[in-house]
Amino acid sequence: MAETFPINVWINEERFAKLQAAGLADMCQEMLAGLKVLRVPTTAEQRDEILKKFPMAKFDSATTKSIELLPRAVKDKIFDLVVAKKSVDVIGEFLKSV
Amino acid sequence: MGEIGHGGKEIVERILEPRTAAEKIKGLKQIPVREQMAVEVIDIAYGFFSPLQGFMGKADVESVCKKMRLKDGTVWSIPIVFDLSDKEIADYGIKAGDSVLLTYEGNPCAIFEIEEIYDYNKQELAKDVYGTNDEKHPGVKRTYQYKDKFLGGKITMVGKPIINEPFTPFFLSPLEMRKKIKEKGWVRTVAHQTRNVPHTGHEWLMKGSWLSAYGELPVEKMMVGVVVNAIIGEKRPGDYIDEAIVLCHDVLRKAGYFREDVHLTSISLWDMRYAGPREAVFHAALRANLGISHHMFGRDHAGVGSYYDPYDAHRIFDQFSEKDLNIKPVRVLEWWYCPVCAEVTYMGLCAHTDKRQNFSGTLIRSIIQDGVKPPRLIFRPEVFDLIQECAEKYGRGDAFVTPEYLKHRNPVFTFPKL
Repeated sequence: MAETFPINVWINEERFAKLQAAGLADMCQEMLAGLKVLRVPTTAEQRDEILKKFPMAKFDSATTKSIELLPRAVKDKIFDLVVAKKSVDVIGEFLKSV
Repeated sequence: MGEIGHGGKEIVERILEPRTAAEKIKGLKQIPVREQMAVEVIDIAYGFFSPLQGFMGKADVESVCKKMRLKDGTVWSIPIVFDLSDKEIADYGIKAGDSVLLTYEGNPCAIFEIEEIYDYNKQELAKDVYGTNDEKHPGVKRTYQYKDKFLGGKITMVGKPIINEPFTPFFLSPLEMRKKIKEKGWVRTVAHQTRNVPHTGHEWLMKGSWLSAYGELPVEKMMVGVVVNAIIGEKRPGDYIDEAIVLCHDVLRKAGYFREDVHLTSISLWDMRYAGPREAVFHAALRANLGISHHMFGRDHAGVGSYYDPYDAHRIFDQFSEKDLNIKPVRVLEWWYCPVCAEVTYMGLCAHTDKRQNFSGTLIRSIIQDGVKPPRLIFRPEVFDLIQECAEKYGRGDAFVTPEYLKHRNPVFTFPKL
């Protein structure tokens, strides 16, 4: 299976309430002393496309191997897609929409 | 005998009284300088760069590049140079032996006694200092942007700059810092270099280094202080805004995570070169001039990308004697969160390596950008709240540098009219 690189969507109370309402609370993982996060995978090609489309974003190659610093509005859109599809495999569809 | 700085030389402030300055600058040709040069003028004049008394001549630059020492043998790792284009030199009609008045933002800044005008091979300089010629390296890029010629000679500031709020109380010259350290009764101090708002990984770096520096000293009264020395200089989009960095470090003490008698927040003005190990040596000299006895160096100190091994900035100190550097490096590994230990712990202690959750500055920035308040074990709530305040007050709603912030921010310093 090809390596994937997550986008970390950090879960605040509002996002957690939406996940709970959709029965998706179990999708969250815990990082850094209990902080809830939704890890949305990207392929290497998708990662590169995202970094090109959103130049403020950064691939943390040194520590976490994740895509960070995407604008909050972009993360909201990805989060809403996850809730609608009840799946974290949404990046293909997300990229078609931007 | 006055205060002895880096290289065993006395720290001498090169600053004129306003009345004397007004006389001395009469009739001098005026040369406006950009912010980097104004910053370095301030650093030279106050003695942050002691024993430098001005911008380097060719022999010093060559010696620094090739041997990491000034021509007199003092350890020095990064060239401090003043550049002008051939056209500017011709237009101003300046030559070696002239004195000129440097101005910044239209106000007098310093008298520059030009001793030498010279060429230098920038590719060679970049390779020597940064270990690469890759223009993606910010230090290399800066080197290639230098104009045709370097000018060497002494600098004398024509009055003190005004350090603007909120930075005013945090700017301590080397002589002021030394006085402050004496007032605090600290016999040892450990410097924490920063360009970040602190998470608890940073907090533990400081606390661990403080314990290292404390050693055998008596504990009835605290005799060691952490001196946070934030580097304030050129910003890149996405960096934390300077105001948040300084005020959030200070709130760690105000909120009690450090006692009043063991912690001090301060700033130094400098555009980071990201020279990794060489920048670590430069930071050591800078903090030695501030009178600090120990300097903490963590993983990938002052590095960028993958140009340096994460611990190059530790190993470089192996080549210097105690006489070379009047400051002791405190070499530290990483602090991480361990879910098994259920605490922030140290790489040199915790064996749950496969369970570790690394602090990453980028990750923490990402969490804050998402508007999520991290657990207090990771990020102090007082710091989180202050970041939001700083974003509103100084960052036009953003805690991170944006083009708008760069355009509208209150300058860190200004030079008064004479």
